[in-house]
Amino acid sequence: MHLVNKLSSSGSSRPFPVPSREPSSVEKIVEIDEHIGCAMSGLIADACTLVEHARVETQNHRFSYGEPMTVESTTQALCDLALRFGEGDEESMANTDFLLNNCASRLWFPLVCCGLRKGMGVSRPFGVSLLIAGHDENGPSLYYMDPSGTFWQCGAKAIGSGSEGADSSLQEQYGKDLTLQETETIPLSILKQVMEEKVTPNNVDIAKVSPNYHLYSPSEAEAVIARL
Amino acid sequence: MTKQQANWSPYDFNGGTCVAVAGADYCVIAADTRMSTGYNILTRDYSKICKLADKSLLASSGFQADVRALQKNLEARHQIYQHQHNKQMSCPAMAQLLSNTLYYKRFFPYYAFNVLGGLDNEGKGCVFTYDAVGSYEKVGYSSQGSGSKLIMPFLDNQLKSPSPLLLPAQDAVTPLSELEAIDLVKTAFASATERDIYTGDKLEIVVLNREGIRREYMELRKD
Repeated sequence: MHLVNKLSSSGSSRPFPVPSREPSSVEKIVEIDEHIGCAMSGLIADACTLVEHARVETQNHRFSYGEPMTVESTTQALCDLALRFGEGDEESMANTDFLLNNCASRLWFPLVCCGLRKGMGVSRPFGVSLLIAGHDENGPSLYYMDPSGTFWQCGAKAIGSGSEGADSSLQEQYGKDLTLQETETIPLSILKQVMEEKVTPNNVDIAKVSPNYHLYSPSEAEAVIARL
Repeated sequence: MTKQQANWSPYDFNGGTCVAVAGADYCVIAADTRMSTGYNILTRDYSKICKLADKSLLASSGFQADVRALQKNLEARHQIYQHQHNKQMSCPAMAQLLSNTLYYKRFFPYYAFNVLGGLDNEGKGCVFTYDAVGSYEKVGYSSQGSGSKLIMPFLDNQLKSPSPLLLPAQDAVTPLSELEAIDLVKTAFASATERDIYTGDKLEIVVLNREGIRREYMELRKD
């Protein structure tokens, strides 16, 4: 699983091809809001929880303030979630109080002590890194988030198993003044270097945010691959 | 023996009138400074205008205790927004927030009749008018409060906004200059003061434009 992301477009590859696996069921680039997309690497199920949270936060923001949420604020909202393992939340504390008062205390007490009293917080960190790409009033931006809940703003970034090699290639090739065409071909060519199998429209995903999120169809991906 | 009824109301009516007019690059928000209850005057010097953000001003009439609670609520929410998003709230964002805040108390409303005025993200004047439960609309001018039924028809006559139902969407802001708009507001209030017992004493005018915020006062009839 390799992901390469540049300001305004990102490419990701699907895991080792297994003949029985349906390629289109592997979704590693998803939309968070009209103007924000996200690429994930690691435990995909954990990533889906984070993406769902981001979607809710961005829509809440639109409801409350009638405006799109900035990319940085969205990333911050995700990072806030990442730190909540270990101790319980205030919300789950309210639930445990109800249980304490209403259930046979003798039976529930041991459970309450070790599990519920602490609150039903998350028990482990989210095992996933995310690349959050979007376009807001400050222009296009890219943020990288790791399981610790720290985030960085980047111009270009790679995550996943081939990320070290990909990152150094990006360092050489990235510039602030690249055209849209270049931001399509550069990540894809780097992906080609680190991937073991040949790049085809069925085993890579390409998406861009300019200014709205758009996941390339197989034919559009085909066109970019042809330019490599 | 008849059943005892509660003769206590959680609400009171403190009177007063608010007006706002949006221009191409300015916004005028005005309100009188009289606060009453029943046939009595509580004070001749109470401001109904509150600065919520750099580019948003709220003028509210109705029950001033609820108005004050609403202002504090919005100010607090704005502080939190600034901490979370590292920027001031725009006027359209504040408009949406005010609407949601009012509807949140749909079944025990804030007895506040609001007019929100300010500059939008492009620096153009914008005015939003509300009812007590949060229904709102972006307009070129509006008035709320005890004198609004006297002032609104006059503003309609002088500022005649194009219908918001027309397509393509027409600009609601008035072509008048800033000084002309202020003069219009002063005239409107002077007239309303004549016939509305709850409006009078002093007029507070706040003007918001590219340079910042300016405040001016005009005396009104005190009877």
